[in-house]
Amino acid sequence: MFEELSLVRMASAMARHATARHSVIAENVANADTPGYRARDVKAFSEYVNEPFTPQATRPGHMAFGAQGGGLNVEKIFDPMSQASGNGNAVSLESEMLKSVEAQGQHALATTIYRKVHDLMRMGLGRGG
Amino acid sequence: MFDLKKAMKAAASGMDAQSFRLRILGENLANADTPGFQRKTVSFVNEINRLTGASQVRPDQVTLDQSDPRESYDPGHPMANERGLVTYSNVNPLIELADAREAQRSYQANLSIFDQARRMHAGTLDLLRR
Repeated sequence: MFEELSLVRMASAMARHATARHSVIAENVANADTPGYRARDVKAFSEYVNEPFTPQATRPGHMAFGAQGGGLNVEKIFDPMSQASGNGNAVSLESEMLKSVEAQGQHALATTIYRKVHDLMRMGLGRGG
Repeated sequence: MFDLKKAMKAAASGMDAQSFRLRILGENLANADTPGFQRKTVSFVNEINRLTGASQVRPDQVTLDQSDPRESYDPGHPMANERGLVTYSNVNPLIELADAREAQRSYQANLSIFDQARRMHAGTLDLLRR
């Protein structure tokens, strides 16, 4: 029932995107000392939303959206800003930390939106906010 | 949720690899004055976990540093050779300590990623409250 609300659907997709990005960042940080490893990233959430053909924005069970165990089908891209060091490793711990905080903030935002929608519905039902 | 678990697994593998590295560094430092000891070095390899699909890290084969050992002139030493030189290890404590500090920083980075994933998980579960 909640999935019918586009706000809730958007919040849930945002939270899923944030967790997917966070897991890619965690892989980068874990491989911060692996020779030849290149940092990867996930496309920004706004790019997924603004894509001209976004099946995920219209129907939850659609194609790339939640087809595999409810996970967002995120595309992993190599970070073009990264510079390889002597052993061919291109992970900057500082930028990874920054990105992980971004992902965490995005997740917090999504869960807050979800909670607020929930509060609004409770208020509408007359059970207080 | 699955992605957060992957993040935690990746961070845990990173911490595991860094603590292994720290162990090797500790062994090197402990044997800095052992005659004939060769310094051990460890590298990491990226590994895809077939079960979860997460790319994790694990320590690679430990290799021996083939550089020349430190020698000091001490003819009275029982282990001195015919030229009066005593062969010690090829461990430079300064390098080992710098490497240990680097391992510590990487460990901390992995730990904070783990903590973030845990917090995000808790934030999702918090939606169930009230």
